[in-house]
Amino acid sequence: MSALEVAGASKIFNQGTTKQVDALIDVNLTVNPGEFVSLIGPSGCGKSTLLRLIANLLEPTSGSVSVNNKTAAQARLDQDYGMAFQQAGLFDWRTVSKNIELPLELKGWDKAKREARAKEMLELVKLPEFADLYPWQLSGGMQQRIAIARALAAHPPLLLMDEPFGALDEMTREYMQGELLRICGETSTTVVFVTHSIPEAVYLSNRVVVMSPRPGRITEVIDVDLGSKRNEDTRAADGFFKSITAVREALRGTHADHAAANAIRGVEDR
Amino acid sequence: MAENNALRVIARLRQIGPALVFGVSFLALWEAAVRGFDLKPYFLAAPSKIFEQFFKNYSRIWEASMVSGGNALVGLIVGTVFGVAMSFILSRYRFLGELITPLAIALNAIPIFVLVAVLNNMYSITSEIPRRVMVTLVVYFIVLVNVAKGLTQVRSTHVELMRSYAASEFVILRKVRVPNAVPYLFTALKVAAPASVITAFVSEYFGGLQNGLGSRITSNIANAKNAAAWAYVLGACLLGLAFYTVSIILESATRKGDTK
Repeated sequence: MSALEVAGASKIFNQGTTKQVDALIDVNLTVNPGEFVSLIGPSGCGKSTLLRLIANLLEPTSGSVSVNNKTAAQARLDQDYGMAFQQAGLFDWRTVSKNIELPLELKGWDKAKREARAKEMLELVKLPEFADLYPWQLSGGMQQRIAIARALAAHPPLLLMDEPFGALDEMTREYMQGELLRICGETSTTVVFVTHSIPEAVYLSNRVVVMSPRPGRITEVIDVDLGSKRNEDTRAADGFFKSITAVREALRGTHADHAAANAIRGVEDR
Repeated sequence: MAENNALRVIARLRQIGPALVFGVSFLALWEAAVRGFDLKPYFLAAPSKIFEQFFKNYSRIWEASMVSGGNALVGLIVGTVFGVAMSFILSRYRFLGELITPLAIALNAIPIFVLVAVLNNMYSITSEIPRRVMVTLVVYFIVLVNVAKGLTQVRSTHVELMRSYAASEFVILRKVRVPNAVPYLFTALKVAAPASVITAFVSEYFGGLQNGLGSRITSNIANAKNAAAWAYVLGACLLGLAFYTVSIILESATRKGDTK
């Protein structure tokens, strides 16, 4: 039983027109329950598109996506996943607590149950004293933690994250990575995580999926063997650097292919 | 505690002090100029004379203010209601928005209150309706343009998030678009409230009933009662200020509101 299965999925925008974009071609990916998988690759490799196919915010042109052994569409209707974006995307007119309650409100939970869960989630992200503040009164890192609390409020088995720490400074970012691992460990949530950062992908993941552009596809999947308990020491471990090198080389491959192809064609293509 | 209050009063005085000093010196300078250069009352009335006229004619100015202010208020309310209603329709049917928004923006940029002359022809000479229609039109377009913007310009992250919750368009409207549009509505009201007074007031220059502030100013000037005309101008300023103040109070009262 898999948490998520993408089988032969392709996504082509503006098919049959001059503006046709092959965003994803024949992508196969299986993610096991409790696994943390990162998608990494240069801009335009389709990693965000793949995430949106899984979230059913986009329909694949061909192939299939199943989440929790249901179709992606059914999984979305059942709120089987939570989602977090680069922008925290909190609602300025709602208090922190009410922001976390939003997905529960849409599920029709009653007020007492919602408030109890929001309180529990605030404890989880270690911001219990901020319940009645408004998002704009919080720092960027705090806002992003609230967004994670909101994404996990309904206890979905799957968490989809699109560069959630991309807008944070390096120190906040490393702190947030540790927090994310702790939270997902405590809730045994499966995570698919889109990022631009190699150390981030390696530190967080059990597997790093390397993608390449034009057409968007998976070129390599790298297993990261750093054990299940990771902490700040992990960042100095030999295995950490070894994995970073492996991912970097895989990524360089995607660029080298590209450069070679350009040299042959003799065109500049950015 | 008492000390605290005293400190607060001092802080407040510091805030408004410069404006206060400027206002008082401006009036003093005006008064001095009128006396010193012996300016004739038909050229420029002294502030002391204007205040004298203001308090002498206080009840008449009040009555005239009620007429102009009443017209402004009716137009403001009706225009806001129609403007909000129309912005919902426009945000639901985007093609209508593309048709109407450029027109609304263009109409905002020209002094459409000259239309009141035409409206006056459509109704009897004793009717307040042309002025109220005029205010309604002015307010309507201000509210429409702003609220429609608030309903449509929501952050894409918010919309994606709501779709990930499988929320319907109606739920997105209720939970995202409407709360997003609330500050836009109050911005519109802050512009529309003084504009409604100005429109009500200027509309009176185009004939019709002679009972509002605008018509009183013209008739006083026609009778060479300059200081009295200024007293009515003062009344008009206070009326506009009152509308503006109420719109600001309304805004701050609802600033963080709508937590549901």
